[in-house]
Amino acid sequence: MPVAVGPYGQTQPSCFDRVKMGFMMGFAVGMAAGAMFGTFSCLRIGMRGRELMGGVGKTMMQSGGTFGTFMAIGMGIRC
Amino acid sequence: MEEYAREPCPWRIVDDCGGAFTMGAIGGGIFQAVKGFRNAPSGMGHRMRGSLTAIKTRAPQLGGSFAVWGGLFSMIDCGLVKVRGKEDPWNSITSGAMTGAILAARNGPVAMVGSAAMGGILLALIEGAGILLTRFASSQFPTGPQFAEEPGPAPMGSPSFGDYRQYQ
Repeated sequence: MPVAVGPYGQTQPSCFDRVKMGFMMGFAVGMAAGAMFGTFSCLRIGMRGRELMGGVGKTMMQSGGTFGTFMAIGMGIRC
Repeated sequence: MEEYAREPCPWRIVDDCGGAFTMGAIGGGIFQAVKGFRNAPSGMGHRMRGSLTAIKTRAPQLGGSFAVWGGLFSMIDCGLVKVRGKEDPWNSITSGAMTGAILAARNGPVAMVGSAAMGGILLALIEGAGILLTRFASSQFPTGPQFAEEPGPAPMGSPSFGDYRQYQ
């Protein structure tokens, strides 16, 4: 990692901040990916209407959580 | 994942491979601990032992497949940097798609297309998030560097989205 003082005189965000930011970013990416892939897979197994909404939402939360955790770890091991 | 200063190109492969292994092993450890704990027969000793067994068997496997993905990804990334002579988000997206395709090569062409689409979309999302984050961070500091990249649009509507779950 580069030194703790940034090029504009500002200190870099702390380690926990980076982990948190990684989690947020991973959660957002995972939600978006889960929305797409979840829609496809729920449509494939024949969900429609209200059931489809629930299934997609569940997939979105799951993949958001998984992605967020992995991104947070990825940030954590590099600082 | 553009926040850290990336290594120069040949060494980036090793760096990404090891980083991906660590990430997969730790993340797999966390998830498998929960899973082993829940799937074991009741009784605290059984649950602890079940979660330990699950971690020992599955976490290195997950780390290994992450490492394969990361290593191949950055190999293709570095190759594209060399061939195209520039570094932009399209490199990552292309190499994500190619990595998905190569790792699914033994499952036939349909699986390759699905896996490639998945890799490409995933990397496009990650790159897009990174660019948005960089924009956001630089808009907070008015003297910050201006980034003249176009925000790599996600390739929506991929063809033949059949067996996207068949990645390694």
